[in-house]
Amino acid sequence: MDERRFGAEVTEIPDEVRMRLSGDLNARADETLAAAYERVVALGPRRVSLDFGHVGYINSTGIALVVRLLAEARRDGRAVRAVGLTEHYREIFRITRLSDFMEIVEGDAA
Amino acid sequence: MTITDKIPPPAPAAHTTRDGAHWAKPVDRLSAQVVGAGVDSVTGKRVANPLQGFGQMWQKTFRVPLEGSTMSPQEVIVIWKERFATFWPKAGRFYAPLAGIVPGEVALLDISPMPGSPVTLSTGVMVIYADDESFTFISPQGHMFSGWITFSAYRDGDMTVAQVQALERTSDPFDELGLMFGGRRMMETFWRETLGNVARAMGTMEPAVVSEAVCVDKRRQWRQATNVRNSATLRSMRHMLTAPARWITGRS
Repeated sequence: MDERRFGAEVTEIPDEVRMRLSGDLNARADETLAAAYERVVALGPRRVSLDFGHVGYINSTGIALVVRLLAEARRDGRAVRAVGLTEHYREIFRITRLSDFMEIVEGDAA
Repeated sequence: MTITDKIPPPAPAAHTTRDGAHWAKPVDRLSAQVVGAGVDSVTGKRVANPLQGFGQMWQKTFRVPLEGSTMSPQEVIVIWKERFATFWPKAGRFYAPLAGIVPGEVALLDISPMPGSPVTLSTGVMVIYADDESFTFISPQGHMFSGWITFSAYRDGDMTVAQVQALERTSDPFDELGLMFGGRRMMETFWRETLGNVARAMGTMEPAVVSEAVCVDKRRQWRQATNVRNSATLRSMRHMLTAPARWITGRS
């Protein structure tokens, strides 16, 4: 398979921290995503935005990683929103009902 | 009008649909089409992800190296999908969808909610994702767990490994109690036996199943305690307790 290496770039912007995700979100993304969230925790924002605009593949294990991150953020009292989702990934967030727990921002990341 | 207005929008990049065929399409309510199941307590229900449950959130992983097997991960998954029900221990029955384990299909199942329980829990799962190396079920409202479970196979060095990984919470306080009073051990035994059966079918003579459990969120979500209104456990218990009355009155 034409797999693309997962990346997570953490940027502090006014009022929130943005996590720009790229590549394939699957089991191999686990450590990178966890490390990125640790950096978010260190920055201590009230809100974190997950930017999926450069994610090209998500499997069920990848969605489970998002759920784990979401659970940790909720535990920490941090709001989470998703930006840059294609229609296909918005569908996946709807069927897994993740959209019940995070704000889905239409369009590209600001 | 500018020139750019006449240029059609670019086609979606190919990479955005690489996983498209593997995911189920969104549905508001589930609908089961299986043969042989006694009770369909799933049709009309919505799916329930791990965030919608009540109890602590756990990630449980069971894996078995397929020692002595020459099968690739893809070959293992083909057989696992085709013969899924036959790998289950006798404590449960799995009624596969007519169309097989493909995204969007719903299966029904009967399981015992705790050891020695006279009640058989009738519930089900929806196939939410399936590719050639894995497939994932999500639970419906009323299932004793809110969450999903992924069955996969992968290469570790020169050996294929079969794995079951669940991300789940118990759905309501009754299910949490059941888990505390023997349910946890029963589920551990259930998946160990399942993986043992899978491994033997793939040619591994003495399967060595290992497991790992990580508590992702130790809080209980009391606002989700109302999930009890959908509880398949309580409904199954009520069905059993009222069986004599139905028998006397001749109603099924």
